[in-house]
Amino acid sequence: MKSLAAILGWLAFVPLLQAAPDARLEALEEQAFKEAAAVVAPSVVRIETVGGLDQITPGLAAGGTTTGLIVTKDGFVVSSAFHFAAKPTSILVTLADSRRFAARLIATDRQRMITLLKIDATGLPVPRVAPRDGFKVGQWTLALGRTFDTDSPSVSLGIVSAVNRVWGKAVQTDAKISPLNYGGPLVDVQGRVMGILAPLSPQSNGETAGVEWYDSGIGFAVPLGDTLAVLDRLKAGQDLLPGVFGVTFQERDSAGATPVLDRVRFASPAEKAGLKKGDRIVAADGRVVRFVAELRSILGRKYAGDEVAMTAKRGEQKLDVKLTLVDKIPPFEPAYLGILPQRRGEGAVARIVLPEGPAAQAGLKAKDTITAWNDEPVTSSAQLIERVSRQRPGESAAVTVQRDGQNEKLTVKLSGYPETVPDQVAADIASTDAPVPDAPKTGRITETLEGHDRQYWAYIPESYRKGQPAALMIFLHPGADSMEAAVLRAWKPECERRGIILVAPLCDKPAGWMPNDLEFVQDVVAKVREEYAVADSRIFVHSVGSAAPFATIYAFRNRAIVRGVALTGAVLRGQLPENDPDERLQFHLSGSLTDKQATAIKATADMVRKARYPLVYTTFSQVGEGYPPDATVEELARWADSLDRI
Amino acid sequence: MIFQMLAPIRCLALVVIMLTVTVEARAQSTAEAIAEVSPKVVKIFGAGGRKNLYGYGSGFLVSAEGHIVTVWSHILDGDTVTVVLHDGQRYEGRVLGAEPTLDLAVLKIDAEGLPHFDVTKPSPTVGPGARVLAFSNVFKVATGDEPVSVIHGVIAAQTTLSARRGVFDAPYSGPVYVVDAVTNNSGAAGGVLTTRSGQLLGMLGKELKNNTTHTWLNYVVPMSQLQTAITEIQTGKFAPRKTDDQEDMSPGAPRRYAPRDFGLVMLPDVVTRTPAYVDRVITGSPAAEAGVMTDDLILFVGEHLVSSARALRDELGQLEAGDRVKIVVRRGDQLITFEFTVPRKTME
Repeated sequence: MKSLAAILGWLAFVPLLQAAPDARLEALEEQAFKEAAAVVAPSVVRIETVGGLDQITPGLAAGGTTTGLIVTKDGFVVSSAFHFAAKPTSILVTLADSRRFAARLIATDRQRMITLLKIDATGLPVPRVAPRDGFKVGQWTLALGRTFDTDSPSVSLGIVSAVNRVWGKAVQTDAKISPLNYGGPLVDVQGRVMGILAPLSPQSNGETAGVEWYDSGIGFAVPLGDTLAVLDRLKAGQDLLPGVFGVTFQERDSAGATPVLDRVRFASPAEKAGLKKGDRIVAADGRVVRFVAELRSILGRKYAGDEVAMTAKRGEQKLDVKLTLVDKIPPFEPAYLGILPQRRGEGAVARIVLPEGPAAQAGLKAKDTITAWNDEPVTSSAQLIERVSRQRPGESAAVTVQRDGQNEKLTVKLSGYPETVPDQVAADIASTDAPVPDAPKTGRITETLEGHDRQYWAYIPESYRKGQPAALMIFLHPGADSMEAAVLRAWKPECERRGIILVAPLCDKPAGWMPNDLEFVQDVVAKVREEYAVADSRIFVHSVGSAAPFATIYAFRNRAIVRGVALTGAVLRGQLPENDPDERLQFHLSGSLTDKQATAIKATADMVRKARYPLVYTTFSQVGEGYPPDATVEELARWADSLDRI
Repeated sequence: MIFQMLAPIRCLALVVIMLTVTVEARAQSTAEAIAEVSPKVVKIFGAGGRKNLYGYGSGFLVSAEGHIVTVWSHILDGDTVTVVLHDGQRYEGRVLGAEPTLDLAVLKIDAEGLPHFDVTKPSPTVGPGARVLAFSNVFKVATGDEPVSVIHGVIAAQTTLSARRGVFDAPYSGPVYVVDAVTNNSGAAGGVLTTRSGQLLGMLGKELKNNTTHTWLNYVVPMSQLQTAITEIQTGKFAPRKTDDQEDMSPGAPRRYAPRDFGLVMLPDVVTRTPAYVDRVITGSPAAEAGVMTDDLILFVGEHLVSSARALRDELGQLEAGDRVKIVVRRGDQLITFEFTVPRKTME
């Protein structure tokens, strides 16, 4: 009976309760939002900028107003780097109490895209910080901004959508984040600052990355605790940059990609730490790493200059390494010794010591055998190349040479590759060899490549001998014009003199080469290398005019075999892949001074130079279109014959 | 120990909050508020429907006899419009009057005993963070007897909308609520914004883009701005406002004064955002007497930020002889304020 009464009592009470608690809960929540905003409001400042670029990116004008957050009593203010991409002339900060101050830009955290400003004020209100480990998906958040001309900051309400986003750099919210509140705080319902609102993108870096997601329900805030942790570095005026360690991974972009190293870049922190291709990263910064994404997330919280402990597995062996992240891996610039090595026989013998090169200056002489490099033994030209490539231009090396049975020690100061072709490159043809009975076809030939049913022509010098590997020139003609007659006329004497095989796959489309022609060219080259003895160190691709982009793509796709790229009248755009010590590649660019595109050709040369490839750039004056004059061809042949220079 | 000592204080705080709540809001939940407000909002169909002009909109009832407030727009271009009530009843509506400076129009349908808002009552004022509800026939999602769509959000800001320097191409300038929700979309203009307990706050504005940030602005015109005009149109006493006291910053705004009139020679204006740097101050001029110096960067004229040399010419051009004008300059890292009286200009 007693329990029934209790139940009845409950039932009677239920309808009364139904409406009231709803409304009360809503009111309490609303009150909490307003209070949270009010608690932080005094620390939220308005930032106005004057001058600077008109547009940050096309279609995105540089606005005059943004928001900032006071982080120290004595006038340090943080904001999103977004607004300062326009490089304003003058920055002004207006406090919540309407006092105005001129501000100085102190430094920018380019990893998290946060900018630190300073105003000359004291006794400023500093907000409380919400600790990052307390962030929970689903909790209420308020995004505050002060871009409107108002007394209280603008409020956008949302929840935490994710706690570790953009490689660990940010907390994600569904509050509306846009240029109206970038730089303002993301606040929890207790009135503590969780982070600084900023556009970010997992795919790209830069001030404007992620702006396209404004007001979309996907917004980011950089945890304030993370910024405070590096505040002293920023205060010192030091820009903080993302850190890299200089590797690529064998699997890319897939969610479950394993962190097995593909390439370890020359002179990178990874290389210095002794990491090698095939190593698998299993831990970083004390955390287990199973996927590339996990590693990126750990590194996303680090800066250039930070030290990271990593554990790698090489087979069954475990390696513990410590490396210091850098902002940029310096491009590899090959060092130059200045010799042409002997092509046949044992040891690293100087066939020719190129005049005025580092070797010549150190007193190296033709026929000297290099037996040691910095006290490490050298037994072949290939080994010598490897040793030299591990050094930089400007560095010195102790070289031991054997001359007339005597050992001699020389000090060589390496330089960069000269931008000229050595004058005296004597042809290395042993013409006294008797004709070989089983010699394959020589002279001008035209063939149809099986499997592709496409044609190529070639010129095999009569001086070709099996025991004397020839250089190989892969000629790619522009569009509809095969240039066969002109090229053959110009090159025949050089092919004979220097032992160069010329092969010219024919393009079957008037519009020119297409990426799907790569396989055809590759197969032609493979066939020639199968039939003739070709010197691996002297294979180069040569193109005229509009075939240049295709020739360049071909060369970079086949870096394992192509050692030279010779482009006439070439216009390339974009950026070249970085140079790589393991795959030697040299460029020869030539162009007519009267070419309509002379400026663009010169810009192409600058682009190659910037990527630090050995480059020879020559111009010729020539009336009319057609193949370069004989003098240029002679130089090009000399260049080709010195592709194996060290 | 500390916790125990604090406990009574916390209880007290809670009581205070609850008291505030009871006083502030009627004990009405969001669900109840929506049920009460929805029938007062109507769907309007009129001119348009071709190219990019949609032929539908929203409005709200302000009398039992069928007075409907909506936004002044191309939908009203025809002689009549079709008004569909919450219960699917269709009426022919005609425009009773309009106030273009408020972007306001009042329609009339012939009906009786309709649920409506009482616009004679003062409307509450709410601040940022306050929960609000927006009612409108956005994208004409509601058909026939379906109630209009409700969107919830909070007040983001109370601010003043001005079309100054083309930041906004707003038809209306004056105080607005900015809503933290995407309330202003096709067909939403003319709908209502209420508190979460259903009290009328204002009328949803049109779609509006901030020309500087390229972001969309969801604004609402507060009832306090509209009440007088609505009542006047309803009672037939309405006379459109004079437009001469409006803020006139249109491209054709007068330029009565140039910087030189104050003794300021500015750096040549070579790019569109050349900052307003003082190149030279003419001796004996008001600027020289006030203490303005070469290389000062002029940042404010009055309360207005001067983002470029062009903006400075606009600001100075607005002044009238005898005005007291305050300018703020940046000299090094110092902000310095100068005040002077606008000189009488000799007519040329």
